[in-house]
Formats: sequence, structure tokens, C-alpha cells
Amino acid sequence: MDIVVNEIIMPCVYSLIASIAFGVQFNIRLRHMITAGIGGTITQLIFIAFQANGMGEMLCYFFSAAAVSVYSELMARRLRVPVNMYLVVGIIPLVPGGYMYNTMITLISGDVDMFGHQLAETFGIAGSIAMGVFAVSAIMRLIRIVTKKAI
Amino acid sequence: MTAKELLWITSTIGRMFTEYGAEIYRVEDSIYRIAAAYGFDRDDKRVEVFSIPSSLIITVNDGDEPPLTQTIRIANRGTNLDRVDKLNNLSRYICSEKPGTEVIRRHIEEISKRKVYSRWVCIVSYAVVGATFSLFFGGKAMDAAFAGLISMLIFCVSELVDRVKPSVFFKSVICSMLTASIAVIVSRTGLTDGFDKMIIGASMNLVPGIIFTNCMRDFIAGDFLAGLYTLIEALLIAVGMAVGAASAIALFTMT
Repeated sequence: MDIVVNEIIMPCVYSLIASIAFGVQFNIRLRHMITAGIGGTITQLIFIAFQANGMGEMLCYFFSAAAVSVYSELMARRLRVPVNMYLVVGIIPLVPGGYMYNTMITLISGDVDMFGHQLAETFGIAGSIAMGVFAVSAIMRLIRIVTKKAI
Repeated sequence: MTAKELLWITSTIGRMFTEYGAEIYRVEDSIYRIAAAYGFDRDDKRVEVFSIPSSLIITVNDGDEPPLTQTIRIANRGTNLDRVDKLNNLSRYICSEKPGTEVIRRHIEEISKRKVYSRWVCIVSYAVVGATFSLFFGGKAMDAAFAGLISMLIFCVSELVDRVKPSVFFKSVICSMLTASIAVIVSRTGLTDGFDKMIIGASMNLVPGIIFTNCMRDFIAGDFLAGLYTLIEALLIAVGMAVGAASAIALFTMT
């Protein structure tokens, strides 16, 4: 039970709160903020689910980013707001803060091998997130052009 | 709608979009749509737009008359997604209803006066972001409390630094240096186990999230110049964060 709370529920709660707080910094109104916060939680849930099933780290980031893009594209269409409003907040929990920090620490310690390793990992994760968003947005764009629905 | 009026409308809306942190393809797309709504989409009567995050050039061709061009330089960009949303609604409204200039002017004024969150709400949101992220990355309650306090300080300092209109790099170096120094000092007093969770949590406030997202979306839309601009901006901020924190930690752990 403790594991469930610590590994699944708490990260989701944290990412919900943090996403909503980030919404304030981007001046999002309260009504949209909750939808955006749920996007952040979905991201986190999918990340945890994929990680628990032993999927590689980069793939976890890729699929979570893709999931949150699908969510924000759909919600943005339904509520007729720019996709950015949900997407920006939704991918915040994916930001690899720990990896960025480790990269910096290895840089200070002068361990060049570890530094290269960490840097590659950080860039790989950033790239996976970008690719996840890329893939979904490109498909959505295609659908929009085909159905000729203005957004 | 005369060419002059159209130029005023499109340039104002384009500038506001860019200043409030919209993607560049949205800026260009809205301008083309608005122009098309007023019949400026033919060969002899049309609008051309060139836009990057730091400037906007609009030319209106109106039949036999010489073309009108306006260049707008965008000095400081912020993030206000609420106003982007309202501007988006406005441009959709213009396209469907084709209102007169006076009506549009009133709408634009209304949007530019929309309320933003007060300073206190922003400070609290910074603190909440710092605290929750330090918990998220495995910190303890004490780490979270100090990360929240440091985040509040980051907000105050970045407001102060903004007054001298610094480069993005300089600003992120200053803020993250401050974060790391305070975190190291706090951990020296023995209140927390280490300084890493505090730094990670508080630094999340500086992460260029919206810049990175805009960069990806501009690349997808085929606006490579705008995408490159924002990509470099995001990289500079990230490098600035690393340089600031690294120099502070190196200084403190040396002595």
C-alpha cells in the first residue's frame, strides 16, 4: 500500500499541483487551469505506467509526451482555445530536472566521461519529448487540413 | 476597409500575439485570415507577412496604389496565454463577422486591459512550484520548504533584474546562481541533508517550458527561422542555468 501511495499517487498529486501553479505564471484563467492540470497528471500517470512495465526511459518520455499532446489537442478543439494553453502546462512534469542537475554536477566534478554520458541522456530525453509532441502535432495538423476545420 | 486600416489592425494584432508568447505560425496565419476576410487575398490586392519572434513585417498591396509596409520590432516578450486565447477569439470573430475598424479597436483595447494575476499570487505560485517539484524529485519536507522560500526570492530578484532589460542568458545565470548559493548555505547549517533537491525544485521556475514548446510547434508548422530563434533562446537559458548553479556550487564547495 505504501508503495502505491509513494510511487503512484504522490507524484500525480505533485504534478497536478505544480501544473496548476505553473498555469498562474502563464496567466491562464482558473477555468482552463484545472483542465491543464489534469493534463499534467495524465502525463505523469502514463509515464509511471510505462516505466513500471520496464519500458526504456526514452520511450517512456516519448509516449507520455505524445499522450499529453493528444489530450491537449482534443481538449483545445473542444473548448476552442489555443493548443499551447494545455500543452505547455502538460509537459512541465516531464522536464528532466534531475538529469539536468546531474549533468551540471558531473561538469563541476570534472568527470568528463560521466559528463558526456549525462549530457547525452539529457539531450536524448529532451529530444524524445520533442519527438512525441512532433509526431502527434504533425498528424493532427494533417487531420485538420484534410477535414478543413479551422482552429 | 482601406489598406491603411487593415495594416493597423493586422500589425497591432500580430504584435500583441508575439508579445504574449504565441507561436509564430499563429501570428502569420491570423494575419492572412484577417486579410482574406476583407478581400485582401487576390493577386493584385493582398497582404504579405514576414515574422520572427523579434520582429514583424507586414506589407499591404491595394491594387493600383503603392504598397504600404510596416516593420515592428518586438523588444520584450512575455507569456500571457489568456490574452493569446482572447486574441485568437477576436481574429476568429473578425473572420466571421467582418466588423469595422472602430469595433476591432475597442476589442483590442479590452484585451490589452485584461487582468493579470497580482504579484502576490505569482509569488505564491513560484513557491508552490519550487516546493512541489523538490518533493517530486524525492526531496523531504524541509527541502520543499526551503525550495519554496528560494523560489519566492527568485521571483523578487527576477522582477528586479527585469528592470535593466538583461539578456535571457544573464538573467538565468543570476537567478540560478542565487538559487544554488542559498541552497548550499542552507545545507551547511544542517537543516537539510543535501542541496540538490532544493536546487532542482527551485530551478524549475526558470525552465524555458513555453519557449521550448513554441519552438517545436513552429518547426512542425514549417517556420524554421522562428523555430531556430526560439530553440537557441531555450538552449541559452538552459546553459545559463547550468553555468550559474555550477559556478555557485564550485565556489562554495571549494572553500
